[in-house]
Amino acid sequence: MSLLLKVSDLSVAYGSVPAVIDASLEMNPGEIRVILGANGAGKSTIIKTLLGLVRARTGRIEFDGKHDLTRLKPHQIHRLGIAWVPEGRKLWGSLTVLENLRMGGFIETDNGKIEKGIAEMFERFPRLKERRDQLAGSLSGGEQQMVAIARALMSKPRLLLMDEPSIGLAPIVVRDIFELVRTINHDGISVLMVEQNARQALTLAHWAYLLETGQIVEAGPASEIATKERVQEVFLGGAA
Amino acid sequence: MDTFLQQVMNGVVIGSTYAVVAVGFSLVFTVLRVVNFAHPDIFMLGMFAGLWSALHVSDNLIFVLVAGAVGAGLSGVVLERVVIRPLQGRDMLITLLATLGVSIILQNGMAIVAGPDPVPYPAIIPQTFIPLGPVSLTVRQLVNFVACAVLLMAASYYVRGTKYGRATRAVAELPEVAAAFGVDVSLISLVTVVLASMMAGVAGVSVGLLYGSAWAFVGLLYGLKALIILLVAGNRYFEGVVLVAIVLGVIEALITGYVSSGMRDVVTFLLLIGVLCFRPNGIFGSYKT
Repeated sequence: MSLLLKVSDLSVAYGSVPAVIDASLEMNPGEIRVILGANGAGKSTIIKTLLGLVRARTGRIEFDGKHDLTRLKPHQIHRLGIAWVPEGRKLWGSLTVLENLRMGGFIETDNGKIEKGIAEMFERFPRLKERRDQLAGSLSGGEQQMVAIARALMSKPRLLLMDEPSIGLAPIVVRDIFELVRTINHDGISVLMVEQNARQALTLAHWAYLLETGQIVEAGPASEIATKERVQEVFLGGAA
Repeated sequence: MDTFLQQVMNGVVIGSTYAVVAVGFSLVFTVLRVVNFAHPDIFMLGMFAGLWSALHVSDNLIFVLVAGAVGAGLSGVVLERVVIRPLQGRDMLITLLATLGVSIILQNGMAIVAGPDPVPYPAIIPQTFIPLGPVSLTVRQLVNFVACAVLLMAASYYVRGTKYGRATRAVAELPEVAAAFGVDVSLISLVTVVLASMMAGVAGVSVGLLYGSAWAFVGLLYGLKALIILLVAGNRYFEGVVLVAIVLGVIEALITGYVSSGMRDVVTFLLLIGVLCFRPNGIFGSYKT
């Protein structure tokens, strides 16, 4: 079984400031993997580099054993089956909820499939159906997160890249979001998540990485990572 | 009262032309984040493309309008690929200066070819008057108004009702996110410039037919006005730009009719200053850029 994603020795810098240093990670199809790290650790940079929004200095990103993502443009990468749930949602506030979803299905040319996709999203997220013609910018944080996830699912991706889905949301909403991710994963979608909320993320993921100032310092099954001292201290509030 | 209504009507006709130029200018500004000072000169190129087609190929009205669109559209392609695209991502001031340079080149280049003075336009449309109660409209004014109205409605439909129009709005607001959802931002930018240019080209021919002349420096009249309209209306709503453009046309016509044509521009600028003091983002608001 070939790897879905293989990142080898990835280094990314903004000008002369290194953001990611020699990072390597992998994903098998069907997994949920999480990258933990504090603010500024370089988590979002990794996601953006995977998406082609930021260029890697060195290193290789192999998708599906055949595509080198470091050579592709963002719109080409999306077409391979990779979708983004951005940090802070980044919905198009001047477009309606429905229009945001349609944009999620931009690469689909069959109108019938797009309509079907939208109907599926509204079935999964009935609250969004109520708000379909509202401007996306007017929704609450939790609702926006749902739209952001629905938008990403519209293209029926194989890999979902989620950047801090819990940020700015109430704990009860975070729980629902993470349950949703579990369901999405059961449907066959692999998820690479970047999170500060270690406690919940580690109960969700199969495998975890710890990123500190641009370098991966720990890697292993989520349950194992949860017991590591530095994870305990930094994220989980001290000894278990 | 009759003078008033007549001037209002004249103003609406001229305002509709301002609207077409301003909307194209606003679209390029909003989507590409570029102040294209050469946009009014693309209007001028369309005007001359129509002129030459009328003189050398066919003086059929539709053909001439289309020739204007094609001439302007091609100019837009060249401008976007050669000047705008290589400078993308740099400071807005840089592209502003570059397009300003292109504007000067186009104006003076055309003046070398066609002369610095207005050149007569073939009289494809008759000069007849259509009496409408207290006012009268010339056939030329009617054609101009209809052409501009059709262009504006087509642009509005494109932006609001089509897949690419929606993608254009997405690129205008969050280009990175649009790219990550499969939108070829570079292509959308090119298409936007071409559409804005084609619109300007048709308007250019229409104005050439209205006044019966084409002029290398006509862009000077429209350029500053397009910028003023954009600043006053804000770039958030298409309809806002159209409204301000028409109001500007009407105000100008009324000042010209009741005061003097010399005062016309003074009033325009006072209006701009007044609005910007109270609503720096324009009356109808702007996207954050």
